[in-house]
Amino acid sequence: MKIVLASSFVPFINGGGRFIVEWLEQKLVERGHRVERFYIPFVDRPEDLFDQILAYRLIDLADSCDRLIAFRPPSYVLCHPNKILWFIHHIRAFYDLWDSPYRLVPDDPGGRAFRNRLIDLDTRAIRQARRVFTNSKVVASRLARFNGIVATPLYPPIMSPERFRNDGYGDEIVAISRVESHKRQWLLVEAMRYVRTEVKLRICGASSNPFHVETIQRAIAEHGLIDRVILEDRWICEEEKVERLATALAVAYVPDDEDSYGYPSLEAAHARKAVLTASDSGGVLELVSDGHNGFVVPPDPRALAQAMDQLYRDRALATRMGAANERRLAELRIDWPNVVDALTS
Amino acid sequence: MKVLVLNNAAPFIRGGAEELADCLVQRLNATSGVEAELLRIPFRWEPAERIVDEIVLNRNLRLHNVDRTIALKFPAYLIPHSDKTLWLLHQFRQAYDLYESGLSHLSSNPRGAEIVRLVRTADEQLFAACRRIFTNSPVTQGRLKKFNGFDSTVLYPPLNDPFRFKGGEYGSYIFAGGRVGHGKRQKLLVEAMRYVRSGIRLVVAGPPDDQAFGGALETFVATRDMGRQVELRLGYRARDEIAALANGALACAYLPIDEDSVGYVTMEAFAAAKAVVTARDAGGLLEIVHDEETGLVLDPEPQAIAAAFDRLAGDRGRAMAMGRNAKELLDSKGITWEKTIARLLD
Repeated sequence: MKIVLASSFVPFINGGGRFIVEWLEQKLVERGHRVERFYIPFVDRPEDLFDQILAYRLIDLADSCDRLIAFRPPSYVLCHPNKILWFIHHIRAFYDLWDSPYRLVPDDPGGRAFRNRLIDLDTRAIRQARRVFTNSKVVASRLARFNGIVATPLYPPIMSPERFRNDGYGDEIVAISRVESHKRQWLLVEAMRYVRTEVKLRICGASSNPFHVETIQRAIAEHGLIDRVILEDRWICEEEKVERLATALAVAYVPDDEDSYGYPSLEAAHARKAVLTASDSGGVLELVSDGHNGFVVPPDPRALAQAMDQLYRDRALATRMGAANERRLAELRIDWPNVVDALTS
Repeated sequence: MKVLVLNNAAPFIRGGAEELADCLVQRLNATSGVEAELLRIPFRWEPAERIVDEIVLNRNLRLHNVDRTIALKFPAYLIPHSDKTLWLLHQFRQAYDLYESGLSHLSSNPRGAEIVRLVRTADEQLFAACRRIFTNSPVTQGRLKKFNGFDSTVLYPPLNDPFRFKGGEYGSYIFAGGRVGHGKRQKLLVEAMRYVRSGIRLVVAGPPDDQAFGGALETFVATRDMGRQVELRLGYRARDEIAALANGALACAYLPIDEDSVGYVTMEAFAAAKAVVTARDAGGLLEIVHDEETGLVLDPEPQAIAAAFDRLAGDRGRAMAMGRNAKELLDSKGITWEKTIARLLD
């Protein structure tokens, strides 16, 4: 089958939004499909939001492939008689982030009309898809709530999970992801002020915001945590990631209301490590259940500190939870054959 | 500096422009202080009214987090950006020279004239806003001047993999590489082989534009029992295979119809020190294929081509001398990626 994968992107920004597309591409090719991938630029701003959506709508792929699979917004407005969506999020400032500082237009009649117009347009375009999958239950429930559309969660696996190893359970809680304020590495640093054991924290990842990194660095210094908190603020290559996770005591991933479980949680599971997360971390909670394959605690430094100490003191617990985390992947069928079957059936 | 290369794309089809865009991005990324990425926008030009949508869609896209764009083709070059360098590979010829000569799908369309005007207006607004305009050949440069009145500087696209074309023995065959289709006239080469008297063979290797054309060529050879004189290697071939064929040939043949640019096939032949047999109406490659110096320039007739092949086979010394001239001429032009990147980033 000739399949076009289409998504939006911001040039020079790499991240989960591209991995899901490129990994799927590789898996489809392995299954013998011919695949062509398009990333179309999109800037998330109200002035020309609809102009850009019009541009997407005008792209003509109808005769060039047997199937179109679309991902990031607004690629779901692309036209194709056999359109499948792997919907990973809305233009959130007009959806679940409306009542937040991320809202892009005022909450007045004009702004609300703008918002309703977008939601109406989205609903009609999404309904034109033959099937709608999401990357999580969180996103599926948003589609139900805002657009009245029933979607099926299809959990995105990571590429070559077999490369992850487990070399035992060391002293470090490891947090590998982009270093951004909504990923809340700063909350983990705060937590380190309250731990009572010799547990260590390692934060790894690049940041788009040097000021935010400075804030974290300052917090580490001010609280006298230099010996116990390691900050590697740079892009961590896959080999390094494998090494860091192999010896980790557990993984911490405490984003603020994330849409999906996040690749860090999956990587932890493949390395048989427990995941420490927060009760408001969103999609992560679809994977992690408290006391089973990790800890789910309130987003409070003291509560996080307590969980870190518990993992440090009880390595048998860390081991048990790590093993349970790996089993959880099979329960949820987070694997490529499942994904490829769903998207090509 | 973050440099985004803008190109259009026909899904599942790759040609010289795609190779060039990929190579450009790769070379930009190898340049210190530069980060580069390729943006490909699907493009469809039929039916004629579709062109209007294409212009609107590209003009409606927005870019963020990009310092410089290098734009190669219509209509992707219409995507707005404040710091755009144009390296024009060709304009949308259906609205320019092909329209004038009645060969465009717009020529017979009742709204054709309007659409042509629209394309030209959109183009001219864009050309006026570019920081610099380079063209890939004097042909493209001339058209831009003639139709739109814009000056430009010729910047020849270098070979992507010059290291492969080192030359070699002068064998007993003429090599014709490149895409296989009506516009490239491999049929004429095969027909010429019916009139050849020396033992020289013809090897054609490259992907056919459509299965029908490739099939017809194969049938022609089979029904006339020309299998010993003509070898057809149709389909995508590894670069090493193409290079080996060029490196071992007595000479090369390339007869496109009024091509815009010198073309990779010609440059590869020249790099490998092979004379090129071509036609008077082949377009851009005549800038470097000079009759009796770096190749043979003929009427596009089978008998004339056959005679030229026989001449080369009969006077191998002459074939080799012209091949060496070709290499010298190409080298003297200094068409390298280092210089090209420096110009584009200037």
